Order: sequence, then structure tokens, then C-alpha cells
Amino acid sequence: MELLQIAKRDLIDFVESVAAGPVDVFGPVAQDGRFAYGRITSGTDLRLDFDETLYSPKSYLFPPKDPVLWYKPKDASSCEPVYAERDQAVIGIHPGDMAAIAMLDKAFTDGKIDANYCARREKTTLVGIYPTRPGAYRFTSSMIKPEEPYLAADAFLVDLGDSSYALEIVTDRGKEFFSASAAKPAGADIKAQAEKMKTAVKDTVTLPVRRDDLPAFLDGKERHPVWETRGSKCFSCGSCVTVCPTCYCFDMLDELDLSFEYGLRFRTWDACVLEPFAVCAGGHNFRKKAADRIRHRLYRKQKYLLEKLGIAGCVGCGRCKKACTADIAYPPDIDADLMRKEA
Amino acid sequence: MCEACGCHEHESMYMPKTLTVVKTSPMTERDRFFEFKLDGRDLGHLPGQFAELSIPGIGEAPISVSSSPTKKGSFEMVIRKVGKVTAALHDLNAGDTLGVRGPFGTHFPMDEIKGKDLLFFGAGIGLVPLRSAVNFALDNRPDYGKMFLLCGFTDVSQRLFTDEMESWKNNRSVEFLETVDRGSPQWEGNTGVITTLIPKIKDRLSPKNTKAFIVGPPVMYKFVILELRNLGFRDADIFVSLERRMKCGVGKCGHCQIDGVYVCQDGPVFTLESISHLVEAL
Repeated sequence: MELLQIAKRDLIDFVESVAAGPVDVFGPVAQDGRFAYGRITSGTDLRLDFDETLYSPKSYLFPPKDPVLWYKPKDASSCEPVYAERDQAVIGIHPGDMAAIAMLDKAFTDGKIDANYCARREKTTLVGIYPTRPGAYRFTSSMIKPEEPYLAADAFLVDLGDSSYALEIVTDRGKEFFSASAAKPAGADIKAQAEKMKTAVKDTVTLPVRRDDLPAFLDGKERHPVWETRGSKCFSCGSCVTVCPTCYCFDMLDELDLSFEYGLRFRTWDACVLEPFAVCAGGHNFRKKAADRIRHRLYRKQKYLLEKLGIAGCVGCGRCKKACTADIAYPPDIDADLMRKEA
Repeated sequence: MCEACGCHEHESMYMPKTLTVVKTSPMTERDRFFEFKLDGRDLGHLPGQFAELSIPGIGEAPISVSSSPTKKGSFEMVIRKVGKVTAALHDLNAGDTLGVRGPFGTHFPMDEIKGKDLLFFGAGIGLVPLRSAVNFALDNRPDYGKMFLLCGFTDVSQRLFTDEMESWKNNRSVEFLETVDRGSPQWEGNTGVITTLIPKIKDRLSPKNTKAFIVGPPVMYKFVILELRNLGFRDADIFVSLERRMKCGVGKCGHCQIDGVYVCQDGPVFTLESISHLVEAL
């Protein structure tokens, strides 16, 4: 992995020059006193010193309503796949969210390959940034392995605490992306400083169970009273899923253009915590109780996806803690409850 | 990642192939029989699998294949009108086209169970996927031992494949029994839930040498399984086909999950042994 160094001023200028070109650039921006991902037009809009964004960057790879098929109404032979066409770059992704994208990459290519996801992925450059301040509920170190963000990232920035960033070039795409920037090769002292700064900001919370022990920890706890206790407070609103960087359950939706001459089939976000998620034809609901749905959500995050894909379905960003009105969704709280006999 | 897998060469998994309706006729007030064909080839399914049918502009729905793969040139389905997509499918006529993806999922392992006696339980619309295995066994009758086929419907108006049931009834190589939960003045057959048929055949069952197949509404499974276990059936010899909301068919969308298992990929056909540890299975 090549290590470069770039002055903060030069990065701003570089981002601005990229944004002026054909590539759509997105990154964390200040919004109503908080941070959110948005389009970058001016280099100074990019706020790499963010604590946490309201939503994760997953929507750039897995949009909430993503067209996958074009057709003429009722004419199956007219169907044509729809693939993303625009190049994009997302600059400023914390290691947890980057590991979440690595998990999405695995999910959409495990078994049957989702070519619609991959088409957009191939047009996307991902640049990470190590956090410069703690997140209110972050426990990422408990949930990801340090190497996992590098499965998805094209480059990673590390704030050196002065007026520059260390810039790790991870892929050829990353090298190509930054080739027009003013980044210069970094010396050995910068490498040591970068490694130190990567772990300078500590997590606010530590999970009481080691990540790789979570599947075994959860075995046999399917009927623990915590699910009923928390389920009785759950509004089944789906906020925890909406803000989650890993949740990727979806539904399919057909919509016709107002001309009635053509239509699109969309892949739309769905959520296993919503009441109708497991309803079958005829009305039988296989996960009727909120308690069962929130149990399924946590097991997906900490067991099923970890066992299936090798990366956890939770990367410890803590967004669900903030998003949940009833305050029942935060995995460290649930795990702590599970360690007690009574919830 | 993407460069490595070369995924831009893969076709979109959402792309349907074009099907043509060969024949369609009503079976009950809400169930309609369809015969479909693909251009120049078979669907390539195995007994117990399903496919996603779609009408562009309306949507997509998972439907079980009802015919045996021994039937070539076309395949059959029975579609219950329960929502937007299935209502639109009911409006199709012979010659109309629609989309299909699949076949998907696991199948009844008919090759691996040659030589065994077969005991089928088909209740309600569960008879539709089960019929693919029943007809496969009948088309390869010398490969199997004794065959028992037990069918149940809520009432006379819900009976499916009535002509075919009549032929099964007259087929001396299969022991066929039928019941309805609620009888009526015209009904002279058995009355009661499907488990009430078991005592009528149990003297002729050899549980150690029999494979059981159960397909029906969710409420039925526990009762049939309990009876079979009491008769000495092992969980490894009991096949169930489980219904879930199989939206994408390829193990991604999450709708069909039972615990960590994807019914569209790891099912819908399971041995009871393979799912008995799953809290959400039955």
C-alpha cells in the first residue's frame, strides 16, 4: 500500500476540481448543526472532521429506490436491465461504514451476483477517513477487524493533526483518482504518525462480547425475555434500519410512467422490523410479533450475516441508538440485557 | 471487488424470460390452472421448485411449479388469486405472454429415495407443488415402493385437480385418500382434518422404509409431524416444503428468512431434521 501526504488546502482544491468535472462527488457536510452525506460542489463543504452522519453512505451504492428494469407495460419481451451510468466518488467514510460497504459487496456477490449493484459499484470511488472525534455511541472497534474497511476502500485519509493528511492508496482506482492531486510520497515518520492517529480517537462504548464470539453467545437466547420487554416498546417504525449502514433488505416495486408507454421495476428499501415484512400471500404473517422482529434484526446483525459473509451486519456506528424513538435498538444495550437472566 | 468478479459480464438477476400461456382454466373460485411454455426449451425445474412470475407494470410473485419435470415442452402452475399480481395473472388468456425467473430453490430428492415407500400429505394449495413429486413418482413407478397419497381441503368447493384425483383414486399402484374439513350434503367422502386419514393406512406403513412429504398450510405441519413421529418416522425421512415470502428468489432480499436460512435458496424443500433447530421454522 502506497502512502502519500497531502496538505488540507490541497485536498480541498482537489475535491473541488473533481466535483467540477463529470464525476458526482459526495461526502459529509454540516446540516442543521449535525452532519449528513450530501453532494459536494465546493471543497470547503466537505467536513472530514465529522463525528457521525445522520444516515450512512450506503444509499450511494444501494439507493432507497433503485431502477433495475425497464419495460413496456405487460410486455415481458421488452424488458431491459437498467444499470447506473454516472461515475461517482464518496469521500469521507469512517472505517465502520467502509466495512459495512465491504459487507454489502459480499452480500450482493455471494451466490447469485447482483449485476445492478456491481455496475454502480464499479463506477464508484470510495475514500475513507479515520475519525477525528468520538461518536456519541460508537463501538466500531468491537465489531470490525482493522483490515475489513480495506476490502472496500480505494484510499484512506488520516488526519495527521497538523495541516495535512496521510493518504493511503489502496487500489489502482484510488491511485488513478488521486493522480491529479498535489499528494506527494510520505516519509517513514509520516507512516508512524498515521498509525498513531488511526487509533487516537477511542470508541465511546465497548461491546461486552468479542465479535467472533457473538454467534455462540446468541445461540439459545432466542426466547430470552429481552425480546418481549423491548418488543413491547417497539413502534416498528423502521428507523433503526433506515440509518443502518449494513441493512440491505429490499422489496420490488413496478411503476408505470404517466405516459403509460413504459415503466420501471425498482429495488426499494424494506425493513425486517416492519410489521408486514414476512406476510405471505393469503395473509399469514411469519413474524407477527415485534419481539420476534427485533430478535431477528439483532441476530442478523450479530450472527446470521457474520456466519454467512464473514463480516458482521453491525459495524458499531451507533446511529440506531440515536434514531430509535423508544431507545430499544442499540446492540450493546441488548447484549448487556442478554447477559442478565432477566431483561 | 468488482473488477475481480468481472460482474459487468453477468446479466441482471432481475431480467425475466418470456413465457406464453398455452392453456388456462378455473379450478375453484380463487384458484386457476395454467399451462405455460418457454420458447424452444423446458423450464428445467425439479419437483418442488418454484419460479417468479411477473407482468411488467404490475409486479412479480413466487409460484410453485405443479407439473413433473417428466412432462416436456411445457409446465403447469395453479395460481391462487390473493393480491395484485395474482389477480392480473388470472386475467391472462391463452397466447398472452408474461415474465418468468427461475426455477429457484431446493427440490424433493426423488433420485436419492428410489426404492423407498412414499407417503404424501397435500393439504389445500399445498397439493400444487406436491403434485410435481407425485406425478414424477407415478411416471417412474417401478423406482419406488408403496405409494400413499393423502389429500385434504377445507371444503368441497376448494378441491383441486378433481379429474386427476379421480385417476389417482382408480390407480391400483397408489393408495389415495381424500378428506374435507367441513362436509356438505353432496359430499360422501371422508370428513375431518388430514390427520384423520392416517389411521386408515397406518397398518400398511413401514416407517423405517418410507419417506414422507408434507405440503400444506402453516397450521398443518405440527399435527402431521406429531403423528408421524408417533408412528416411528425419523425426522430425516420427513420432507416439508415451507411457504415464505420469496421476493427475490436468490437469497438477497431477506423476506423469506427463517432464522439465518433463506427459504428461496436453502428451501423450500427441507428435511425436518435440517430445520428442527430453527425457532421460526414451524
